Amino acid sequence: MSTMSMQTDQDQSVPKMQTPQMPGSHLTLARGVLAFAGREFRDAVSSKWFLLYTVAFSVLAIAVSFVSLAGSGAQGFAGFGRTAAGLLNLIMLIVPLMALTAGAGSVAGERERGTLLYLLAQPISRTELLLGKYLGLAVALCCSLCVGFGLSAAVLAWRAGGVGIGSFLMLVLFTCVLALSMLSVGILISVMSRRSGVATGLGLFCWLALVFLSDLGLMAGTVIFRLRVQEVFALAIINPLQAFKMGVIVNLNASLDVLGPVGMYASQTYGKALPWLLASVVVLWVLLPLMLAIVLFKRRKGI
Amino acid sequence: MRRSVAIFIMLTLCVLSRALSAEPIAPIQSMIDQAGDHERVVIPPGNYEGRLKIMHPVVIDGQGKVTIDGGEEGSVIEITSPDVTIRGLHITGSGQRVSDEQAGIKSVAGPVTIEDNVLEDVYFGIDLKQAPGSVIRNNTISGKDLEIGRRGDGIRLWWSHNCQITGNAVHSLRDMVFWYSEDLHISHNTVTDSRYGLHFMYSHNTVIEENDLARNSVGIYLMYSNNIHLLRNQIYNNRGSSGYGIGLKDDDAIVVEDNDLLANRVGLYIDNSPSSIDSVGLVKGNRIAFNEVGLLATPNTHDNVITENAFIENEEQVTVHGGGQLSLNTFASEGRGNFWSDYNGFDQNHDGIGDFPHAPSSLFRTLLARDPNLRLFVHSPAQQAVELTARAFPEISPKPMFTDPAPLASVPVFKDGGDAARSFPMPMAALALGLLAVAAGAIWRLAGHDPCRHIWAQSSPHIKQKVQA
Repeated sequence: MSTMSMQTDQDQSVPKMQTPQMPGSHLTLARGVLAFAGREFRDAVSSKWFLLYTVAFSVLAIAVSFVSLAGSGAQGFAGFGRTAAGLLNLIMLIVPLMALTAGAGSVAGERERGTLLYLLAQPISRTELLLGKYLGLAVALCCSLCVGFGLSAAVLAWRAGGVGIGSFLMLVLFTCVLALSMLSVGILISVMSRRSGVATGLGLFCWLALVFLSDLGLMAGTVIFRLRVQEVFALAIINPLQAFKMGVIVNLNASLDVLGPVGMYASQTYGKALPWLLASVVVLWVLLPLMLAIVLFKRRKGI
Repeated sequence: MRRSVAIFIMLTLCVLSRALSAEPIAPIQSMIDQAGDHERVVIPPGNYEGRLKIMHPVVIDGQGKVTIDGGEEGSVIEITSPDVTIRGLHITGSGQRVSDEQAGIKSVAGPVTIEDNVLEDVYFGIDLKQAPGSVIRNNTISGKDLEIGRRGDGIRLWWSHNCQITGNAVHSLRDMVFWYSEDLHISHNTVTDSRYGLHFMYSHNTVIEENDLARNSVGIYLMYSNNIHLLRNQIYNNRGSSGYGIGLKDDDAIVVEDNDLLANRVGLYIDNSPSSIDSVGLVKGNRIAFNEVGLLATPNTHDNVITENAFIENEEQVTVHGGGQLSLNTFASEGRGNFWSDYNGFDQNHDGIGDFPHAPSSLFRTLLARDPNLRLFVHSPAQQAVELTARAFPEISPKPMFTDPAPLASVPVFKDGGDAARSFPMPMAALALGLLAVAAGAIWRLAGHDPCRHIWAQSSPHIKQKVQA
């Protein structure tokens, strides 16, 4: 079976998906996912949103790097790092927007255009289809982020030298994981929505909720109910963006003391385990919505 | 043959252990006891184990070749007579019984001179009680591996006036602390990785000059101490939950001048200082930069003149503990205020003074003063949202916490300590290229050729029919 498909793959005139295959083999599953991922990636890269977001993120990242470096002669003392602080704000604003809208448009868009029906007719399971879509979009998003961070790193290398290269690399990795988590949420929204307009709207609402509303609500709650530090911390890290922010700061500073009493509480209570705790929150936000999306997509009658 | 090898090894071991093991200190003790008053006793080079007690005026010189190990018991050197000099010793292994406050060098009489010694693995370092006129110079002191609150003090003075503490380096201990000691001169000391760099309790009339205080919990903390001049100290990275660069609590007539306060949790903390009604505090010409909070003051703080300082890129420049205004203090003197990196005005007439007063008001920072837990939300878009709201609706904008009537238009000269910034740029450039290459590679590899393009092209009915066929 597998040798057959290998041969057909080499024979370019016959597309491999057309060969009758029995489902269940790992090789074919991986191939199906990869084929869909490739398609999704190509669609994404050639789309306008990808170009727009990449350009926007890159320009802003470069601008932030320039502005935060301007006129500072004593970066050795600049504590939390002004470039990092600026980039952090930018990332928390733009990356969820990119990932949520990209994810939200994916399945719902195909559904609206009617192409989903055709894709489901392929000898491939719904899980594979969704995983393929997810993978393709994920790679596209990470590419887009790499462009932005790469240009920003070039500015830093030019203006500031090789300070904090390890932290910068970790920032890139963390941001990619954050993008994956937001993409999961986007895909979940997309699976649930019938129309792509609704999906995009829901995605934007999600963005608003995660970026602004939850933090503002928690701020109000902290002031009004006089929440204790452990309560504030527990409520805050539910939000993947807060977990991401704390993770980046722990990685840069080895301590959360820049975040006041709550940060100090977290650093003292969890110590060395804190980065792992924060990372696992974000990773959970990658896995849980994606799994839920797969379950919902499989249980869905019709398209 | 075998036996001879074994004997040889045993002999070698014996010789080695003899060389490594310390000699008893008793002969040295009697040498010191027998020396005449004010005589110079040069201790023969070597390692000694035991403790010394010095009971009459004498100069003890180890010339940097003598190690005395107290054997983890008691104070290593105890001085009970004035006019004693201890010079050039390497002192280790004091006991650590809290009730005795065991130290490397302990003196209960003065004046004494303690210079050019190295103290390691000691509970307290140098401990002077009622030793007026003493000199502690060029000693290096490091402590035992204990939790920060359980360590002893690096240098402690108790009721010892007119002392000079210069050129000492203290690290990994608790404080360099001065109790009830007046007219001191403290300069060129380095305190790192300790609790309080310089700690004053009820100690008046002192000059503290050109000390380096880094990575402690607090750089300099003055409590109930009057008439102190803090001059040209370098104070940075003092952090932690009570991390202050300089803390002033209930002190009168303090001058804080020309210090660098960098990357501390709080640069300058003023708690009810000056405390007397007719006293004035002066904070002048300091560089307060990259701290979480530049200047933190309690709401009752009054009569400070804060002028010609540079407040640069502190996360919060000035804030009031618990909220309120610092209206009882002045932020300018003789028409010159401070430099603020967040000043929004201009200097159109080029007189070096900004044309508008600097009176920043920030809703988020005002909330932060009310509930410090909100600091969790700094560096996030939500913080910006709050500020934006306050700007859009000026009626909810809070009162400014302070007003600088004459902000300086240009940065005063900044002593740059950040040489680390100009490191080798190649790795960062490589990272930049690497990231771009990853993106380009992925796009080139994946977006170029599609082995399944026949399938995706199904939107054309022509191919669909073909597939069905």
